[in-house]
Amino acid sequence: MIEVQGLTKRFVDKDAVADVSFFVPEGEVLGFLGPNGAGKTTTMRMITGYLPPSAGSVRVAGIELAREPLGVRGKIGYLPENVALYPEMRVGEYLSYRAAIEGVPRVHTQARLDEVCERTMIIDVRSQIIGTLSKGYRQRVGLAAALIHQPPVLILDEPTVGLDPRQIVKIRELITELGRDHTVILSTHILPEVEQICRRVLIIDNGKLVADGTPEQLRAGLQGAAELRVQIEASEDDVRTGLTSLPGVTEVESAGSGRFVIAVEGGLDLRRAVFSLAVERSWVLLEMAQTTPSLEDVFLRLTTRDAAGEAPAEAAMPEGEVANA
Amino acid sequence: MRKTWALVWRELIAYFSSPLAYVVMTAFLFINGYVFWLIVAYLNDPRTQAMAPLKLLFGGTIFFWLFVLFVVPVITMRLLAEERRSGTLEVLLTAPVSETQVVIAKFLSAFAFYVVLWLPTLAYVAILASYSKLDWGPVAAGYLGIALLGGLFLSIGLFTSALVRNQILAAILAFALLVVVFSLGLVENLATGETLKGMLGYMNLWNHMDDYARGILDTRHVVYSLSLCGLFLFLATKALEASKGR
Repeated sequence: MIEVQGLTKRFVDKDAVADVSFFVPEGEVLGFLGPNGAGKTTTMRMITGYLPPSAGSVRVAGIELAREPLGVRGKIGYLPENVALYPEMRVGEYLSYRAAIEGVPRVHTQARLDEVCERTMIIDVRSQIIGTLSKGYRQRVGLAAALIHQPPVLILDEPTVGLDPRQIVKIRELITELGRDHTVILSTHILPEVEQICRRVLIIDNGKLVADGTPEQLRAGLQGAAELRVQIEASEDDVRTGLTSLPGVTEVESAGSGRFVIAVEGGLDLRRAVFSLAVERSWVLLEMAQTTPSLEDVFLRLTTRDAAGEAPAEAAMPEGEVANA
Repeated sequence: MRKTWALVWRELIAYFSSPLAYVVMTAFLFINGYVFWLIVAYLNDPRTQAMAPLKLLFGGTIFFWLFVLFVVPVITMRLLAEERRSGTLEVLLTAPVSETQVVIAKFLSAFAFYVVLWLPTLAYVAILASYSKLDWGPVAAGYLGIALLGGLFLSIGLFTSALVRNQILAAILAFALLVVVFSLGLVENLATGETLKGMLGYMNLWNHMDDYARGILDTRHVVYSLSLCGLFLFLATKALEASKGR
C-alpha cells in the first residue's frame, strides 16, 4: 500500500532522513518510533507530499508521488503533528469545507460528516467555534477531518501528544478501531502506545532506520539483556559469590536488603539453577522474577547506544552527532 | 471547481469573522463619504468649472490612491502568511488541491472583499443620478478601472503574503511593492528620452484611472493591469510551491 524507496531529505548541513526504505502492506498498522528530532515528521511530510524529498521515491496505493502528487494526496488522510485548524470556523463548517476540498461528492457530505463525528466522538461540539475547543477536542476534530474522505491510508503524526490520560486511551481505542479498515502509519515516541496498537514497528534514529519488525521480534532480538531479580535472606557475600559462580551469569549487582539483579547471558533461563542453589545452601528465597526486555529497552538500546556505550566513536565524529542530538 | 469555491467560501468566513474586515469597511465608508462631500462642496462653488463629480471620486484626487495603497496590503496580508504561521498550510497542501487552485481561490476571495468595500459607493451614484442627468459610460468605465487596478494590487499583496509567515511583514512588503508599481509611471514626468517617456507613460496608473473615470476604455490599460495581475499570481504560485515544508 505504501512503498518508500531510498527516501532522503538533505537540509543544508545534515541529512534529516537518510536512505529510508520500507513497505507497508494493506491493512497494517505501522508504528513509527524514534526520539525527538530523529526524522519521523520529515519522513511523514515527504510521504504526504508536503516536503519534496532530496532523493528516493514514494508510492501510495500504486501511485507514484512524484508523478501524480494530487492523486496520492487524495489517498491519504493526514493528521499533522500540530493539529492546525482554523480557529474562527465552526466544527461542522470546517468538516464540510474539508470534505469539499478532499473531493467528497456533495450528496455524500452530510452522511460522511455524521459518520466521522460519531467515530471521533465530537457530535456534541459540532456547532462550536473551533477556537473555543479544548486540546482533546481539537485533536479529534483534526482526526475527523483526516477521515472525512474515507482515505485508504492514514498518517498520524503523534496523535496523542498533549492529551490527558483519559483522552489518550480514547484516541488509542479509536486508532485501533481505524486500523481494521485502514492502512495506518502512526508516529510516536510513547512506547506502550506502539505495543498496544501496532502490529509492526519501525525505529528511526538520526534519520536512519535502525529496526523493523513486530514488537515481539524486536524484543527477541535483545535476549542478551534478560535479567533475573531475586531477593534472598542470607549473608550478602555468600549470595554474591554463589550466584556469580553459576554458569551464564555475567554480572551480579546488589540492590540492598537482600535484593540482587542478575544479568544473564543470551536467553538462558537460570531460575531453576538459582532455586537449587538456594536449597543447597539453605538460603531463604523470598522473591524471584525474570524480566524480559520491554520495547522500551529495545528502543533505548537502539537509539542511545552512541551516546552511552560507544563514547569514543561519538568523539571521533562530533559534528553530525551533535547536530542530530 | 467545487474545491475552489470551497476555498473561497472558507476565506470569506475568515474575512467576515475578523474585526479587521469591519474596521476596514468603516474606515473606507468614512473616508469615501468625506471625499464625496468635499467634491460636492467643491463643485457647488460657482467659481469651479463644470466637471463630473464621479470622475473626481474615481481617481481624480489623491484620496483614491492613498486608500487603495494602504488598504490592499491589509486585505491581502493574512491570506497565505497566516496559513503558514498557524500550520494550516500543511493541511491545505496535503489535500488534493493544487497550489494554483489555492492561489486563485485566495485571490478571488480578496477580490470579493474588495468589491464589497466599493459597493456602498453605488449610493453616491444613486444620489447624483437623482439630482442630475448622469453619463453612465464614465461611471461604468470608472468601476471597471477600480476592479482592474484593484485586481492588480491585490495580486501583488497576495504574492508578498506567499513569501513570509508574518502578516505585518507581508503588509509592509506589499505596500513597498505597490508604491514601486504605482510610482513607476509617475517617473514619466521626470524622464527626458522619448522612448522612455512613452514606456513609463504606458505604466502610469494615475493616467489609467483618469482615463477610465473619463469614460475612455483603452485596451492597453486593460491589458497592462490584467497581465501584471497574472504575472503576480503566477509568482505567488511559484513562491507557494517553493516554500512547501518550510
